[in-house]
Amino acid sequence: MKFILPKKYLLVPLVLGMGACTNFLDVNQTPNNPLSVPPSVLLPAAEAGSAFANSNELNRFTSVIVQHLAGANNGPATYDVYQTNGGDFGNQWRTEIYDGALINYQKVIQIADVTNSKAYTGIAKIMKAYTFALATDVWGDIPYSQALLGEGNLQPRLDKQEDIYKGNTTLGIQSLFDLVREGEKDLDVALAANYSGLKPTNDDLIYGGDLNKWKAAGNTLLLKFAIQISNKEPKLAASVINEVLTGNKYITSNSQDLNQPFGGAVGSQDPVYTWTYVSLFRDDLILSTRYLNLLKGLSDPRLPIFFTKPAADYVTIDNGFRGVLPTPISSWSRYNTYVTGANGVGPVRLATNFQRAFILAEAAIRLGTPGDPQKLYEEGITASMTLAGVTPTQITAYLANPAVGTLTGTNEQKIAQIITQKYIAFTGNSLEVWNDLRRTGYPTQLPAQNAAGIDGTRPVRAVYINEEIQRNPNFPQTPIQSNVPVWWATK
Amino acid sequence: MRRNLLNSLLLSLLFCLPLLAQDVSVSGRVTSSDDSSVLPGVSVQVKGTSRGTTTDANGAYKISVPANARLVFSFIGFSSQELAVGNQSTLNVKLLSGAQNLDEIVITAQGIERDKRSLGYSIQEINGSAISQRSEPNVLNALQGKVAGVSITTASGAPGASTNINIRGITSFTGNNQPLIVVDGIIFSNDVNNTQNTLFGSTPSNRLADINPESIESLNVLKGPAAAVLYGSRASAGAIVITTKSGRNQNNKTEVTLNSSYNVQNVYGLPQYQNSYGQGTLNNYVPNSSNSWGPAFSALSSVTNTQGKVVPYQAYPNNIRDFFTQGTILQNSVNIASGDQNRNYIIAIGNTLQKGIIPNTKFNRTNIQIGGESKLQNGLRVSGTGTYVQTVQQGIPGGNGGSAFGQITAIPRSYNLPGEAYQDTLTGRSIYFNPSAVNPNWSLYNETFNSQVDRFFGNFQLGYDIAKWLNVSYRVTGDTYTDRRKLVQQIGAGRAPTGDVTQDNFFRSEINGDLIINAHKEDVFLKGLNATLLLGNNVNQRKTQEVYLDAATLTIPGFTNVSNGSVFTASSENSTIRRLVGNYGQLSLSYNNYLFLELSGRADQSSTLPKNNGTYFYPGASVSFVPTDAFKVNSNVLSYVKLRGSIAKVGRDADPYLLNSVYVTSGYGNNVANINFPLSVNGNSIPGFGISSRIGSSNLTPEFVQSYEFGANVGLFKNRVNIDATYFNSHSTNQIFNAAISNSTGYDTRTTNLGSLRNKGLELVITGTPVRVGGFKWDVALNYTLIRNLVEFIAPGIKSAGIPGNGFIGSTPSIKEGLPYGVIIGNANSRTQTTDPTAANYDASGQYNGQYLINAITGAFAPTVANSVISNPQARYTAGLTNTFSYKGLALSVLVDTRQGGQLLSFGAAAQRSSGALYATGIDRDQPRILPGVIPVTAADGTVSYKPNNIQIPAQTYWQGIGGLQSEATVFDATVYRVREASLNYTLPKGLLNKTPFGSISVGVSGRNLFFYAPHFIADPELNTQGAGNIQGLDLQGPPNTRNFGVNLRATL
Repeated sequence: MKFILPKKYLLVPLVLGMGACTNFLDVNQTPNNPLSVPPSVLLPAAEAGSAFANSNELNRFTSVIVQHLAGANNGPATYDVYQTNGGDFGNQWRTEIYDGALINYQKVIQIADVTNSKAYTGIAKIMKAYTFALATDVWGDIPYSQALLGEGNLQPRLDKQEDIYKGNTTLGIQSLFDLVREGEKDLDVALAANYSGLKPTNDDLIYGGDLNKWKAAGNTLLLKFAIQISNKEPKLAASVINEVLTGNKYITSNSQDLNQPFGGAVGSQDPVYTWTYVSLFRDDLILSTRYLNLLKGLSDPRLPIFFTKPAADYVTIDNGFRGVLPTPISSWSRYNTYVTGANGVGPVRLATNFQRAFILAEAAIRLGTPGDPQKLYEEGITASMTLAGVTPTQITAYLANPAVGTLTGTNEQKIAQIITQKYIAFTGNSLEVWNDLRRTGYPTQLPAQNAAGIDGTRPVRAVYINEEIQRNPNFPQTPIQSNVPVWWATK
Repeated sequence: MRRNLLNSLLLSLLFCLPLLAQDVSVSGRVTSSDDSSVLPGVSVQVKGTSRGTTTDANGAYKISVPANARLVFSFIGFSSQELAVGNQSTLNVKLLSGAQNLDEIVITAQGIERDKRSLGYSIQEINGSAISQRSEPNVLNALQGKVAGVSITTASGAPGASTNINIRGITSFTGNNQPLIVVDGIIFSNDVNNTQNTLFGSTPSNRLADINPESIESLNVLKGPAAAVLYGSRASAGAIVITTKSGRNQNNKTEVTLNSSYNVQNVYGLPQYQNSYGQGTLNNYVPNSSNSWGPAFSALSSVTNTQGKVVPYQAYPNNIRDFFTQGTILQNSVNIASGDQNRNYIIAIGNTLQKGIIPNTKFNRTNIQIGGESKLQNGLRVSGTGTYVQTVQQGIPGGNGGSAFGQITAIPRSYNLPGEAYQDTLTGRSIYFNPSAVNPNWSLYNETFNSQVDRFFGNFQLGYDIAKWLNVSYRVTGDTYTDRRKLVQQIGAGRAPTGDVTQDNFFRSEINGDLIINAHKEDVFLKGLNATLLLGNNVNQRKTQEVYLDAATLTIPGFTNVSNGSVFTASSENSTIRRLVGNYGQLSLSYNNYLFLELSGRADQSSTLPKNNGTYFYPGASVSFVPTDAFKVNSNVLSYVKLRGSIAKVGRDADPYLLNSVYVTSGYGNNVANINFPLSVNGNSIPGFGISSRIGSSNLTPEFVQSYEFGANVGLFKNRVNIDATYFNSHSTNQIFNAAISNSTGYDTRTTNLGSLRNKGLELVITGTPVRVGGFKWDVALNYTLIRNLVEFIAPGIKSAGIPGNGFIGSTPSIKEGLPYGVIIGNANSRTQTTDPTAANYDASGQYNGQYLINAITGAFAPTVANSVISNPQARYTAGLTNTFSYKGLALSVLVDTRQGGQLLSFGAAAQRSSGALYATGIDRDQPRILPGVIPVTAADGTVSYKPNNIQIPAQTYWQGIGGLQSEATVFDATVYRVREASLNYTLPKGLLNKTPFGSISVGVSGRNLFFYAPHFIADPELNTQGAGNIQGLDLQGPPNTRNFGVNLRATL
């Protein structure tokens, strides 16, 4: 064979070797993810995050702490004897609250502001306030004014819970009240006739874009925040409540409830449904004997609506019980469709009409705000029972029981009555029940059996998650234990 | 760019040079200096080229060489010799025997063949025969215990389970720490494409498992970056260079090699169980309990089970062992090889059929390879090889949450797992004592994982000697595969009660083009100074695609097509492309064959880095000096000394698409509850996106590993004993790292350059031949590895961070400043302390420092302290010892190895201990016990003192109090001694085969993992459910290991 190498082959290595042209290396744009999105896909994700934060693990935790349910296995069994530490609720803090709901409300606000779409920014600000309140109520002092800035502040400082609720101009902290008010102002812009920005429809899972309902919800949250700090700041609480009552636009019917709906298909279901009926951890919780006794004692017609009775009678265990669990598991009493929705459609009730009525009843007694406590109290019970599908006759009968229907005794005793009814009405949203329990001490409860924890007392806060202590030196490096009350819970 | 152009121009010019070299023919015979016997198979190499031949059965060779060439004769077991041809046409050679040949040729980076003595860095070569016929289909597993500086852990004994390999420790916080694998010049993907999580998931193979061990001629481990700098970024964790068999050394004869082996595998290393107490709790029988805290077997004769059936109440001692079955591995291969150094081919077919120790699991592999090379008359050398592999893996998912292996550790001693029905014939659902869980036997057939890999890899190379001192070659290599996986969870499955089918298709392809110009000059500037210059250009492209189709909520039982699903929201697609252009060069100088200097450098330009930081250069230098030659030491004791040192820096680029922040489809939750967008609400499908939890960085720079090493090779007693010792020190800086950040920023990680990680260590390889009498030979090879790894710095204000991957919340594999890589952070028991009077648990007496704190009322441990370092998986040292005894055709080889220290966090052990199944929990169960520790005593004045715990608690409280899954008691010392493998081979004498068509026949028996002793752990601690990856020392309930026995037959025609 002769050595012939046609000239064109000389180009082969040349071409292959010349790969370093700009275009050749310009392939680093991801085809997998969008770099920008409209607010309409962010809002539903953020709203679902708030609902998930309320109703997933924090709900499992608080449901046994408030003794609605009892822990049979796994985490809830541990919580039930008051054991919790920084290994708990990492998912909630990380993926549901800060990196789920909150950052995406922040993104909605940023993106929607560009197109002056105040309908979106208004909703996002109100829900951001709700979610921050949830976080501070659970953990106490948290990153707030410096949070959600990404690389803008990699180690946000902790704002005091007091400053989060009340605001602190020196430190540049906007109060939760002002955050809600700012959101409502945005809604006013969007409700005006000349509004030209984007408006949510189906993507607003909660109200389907009904901005008036959002305003009512915002004001109801102001009531909730106000009553939450009423121990510490009665004057401020009273002024906020008066402001809302004067404005007269707050949730006044069950149809206005701030509810996050879910779907009946796998992957869309209400978390409470999933952990009650579907997932591997479905047998971690069972109705508490104590709660059963309370409802039975009151002949409460909501009992069969709140809980299942697969066997001849309700099958329960006592809180902190460490013996042989009842068998068969299929006989256990669990949350019924009132809480989980049929096939898991929910909803998760974040703020409700009955809650508003109970808050106003309590405020009227505690803070002297307008309204007749007895009427508001009855309104709360009626709203809850109506929502549960109890017949008017049954409601009347229930209220006719003087031990239930009539506020009597000292102011404290009346408040205890109100909070006990709120405790029952909020079955399924144990986080709100826990908030009231820590603030008022009602209903009075005995510690769980085998109570351990730090000192045998009920946890009154969650311990900062390990990841934050690792990652942000602003967190106290010696964890604050779960028996230290948060700011608003102390008198 | 400019350099590439230059390369290409140079090449074009060089092709135009006329051919000048004139060849002469040399022949001769090679004999042993010991007994003058002829030596067949001796390599005869023209120095500085790839030209060569081997001697035939009579020790004769014939080769045509350029005038003034030097020939190098080398043969295993003998010192090689180098002779100038001059004008001789006959060259007879006597080779001096030595225990090990110190001058043998080894293959280094980019396939460059080198005299071992010229290397300034450490390379360990493993002969193909040490890998093949070791009852082990995965090449990496066959390397266990054989290479110093290398740590190899297999995920489990399940067929196709992935194997992790790290050379000289972990050098990147979160990047790929597996070495680069190169097979015949082909950059070979060893990816795992791990989709497993801690709770539930498939355990796929590492893709090096696609290589048939039988096809390997040799395997070289290039340990440090200095050795691997020419491969560029991806070899910063070292490189493994595999050369497959070829027809090069066949002396123009065609040889057909048949290999056949059959192995049986049995589950090995299960813990010992108690068989006195049955199902239940608090001494009561409870039919749905997964505990064995029930009554003693003597107390009850029968019980009613969950299904309402009356069954005997008795121990089933083998109820866990009998879940497993005997596995088998049948391997067959045929090689046809023919040719000589200039013209040769090979055709190889290999087949592996493995049935796993877990019923309904398998690993089947078929390899077909065709390769050859030819030197055309015009001097152009053409070679190429192509291999097609099909690997089929069938397994069942593992993991803590709801897999068969999560359940198998939760079986009461009285549950007749093998004997009870596991499937309802009417509904197809699982039948089990625990209605919340799924029967592991049901899982075997209803929760299955299949993977089918179709892979093609090959190379094509053109080479040309432009002048006798100048060679140019171009090589194109390709490696591509698709892995089509299917995970089926039938209706009723633990993790997906409504059923789920996922179709997960991976595609990966890689193409490399390398232009290499090699110039060699002897006696440059002064006599005895030889120089070799290599210039290269590399163009690389890698593409991947993963298409994931998740069909949830099945309708028709048993129908496992995705069309049976009704919810598809978790489906996704992910594609990547990355490119890199590298230019590299290496200048090697040698002076009188005893002083060597090598300078190398590489500049890379990567698509994954920002354009302004995209080009980076890194250099390396090494020196080697042989004083015994330089000073002409002639001693019977000190035969050979080589001193060497090297220093190198290797840069590494980022993964694709790290520069931007992106939006991702939203989803929430974990195994308790979860949702995925689009959310189906009120008949509407609502899409939802959120900002990704990672912040991108537009100003990334490359990361670097700087390293130096020095060492010595010493040959004693005519090289009967050889010592190879190395100290290395590597420092990784500027790591490209998704650094964990405070979640309150709204993000979880931030891509950035941070951190500093150091590895230093010692490697020692001692080989020797203590006895060599007549035909009997005893060879010993010892290797020892000590690595100290330290996370020096992470980021300002950040003292620790989790390693991405599948840890478990509460037991987080982490990097923590001041500690070795991979420590696990979790919940530790509260302890007393004597250092800080103001802090909690201060013991003023100083008597009980570090004792566990006990609750004074319950006698249980005080609440745990989260965020404590509870486990360090890094071994103190590892060592392996191979003894080989050979007598004529008979060879017995035994490898024992040990791993000292390092800890294992075992969910499996913790689960079985707190469930009362382990042997220890059955001892004196009726006796009360006391947890170790001290009780605080508060005096009237409020001062706290301590006294030893004296609170008696029942056995169940005691063992459950010691610690469940999330506690420091889950951590065990993983020290283990092991008889890793043994093999006995017999090669039939040639005389016997004279009248047969066979050239040679050898038969052998072998065994792996024959015995282990783990003083501090209840089972085999060599487990890591994570498989290949950066997380080590975690057993989150996976399959156990196996013990293998086999026979093999090898014949040549």
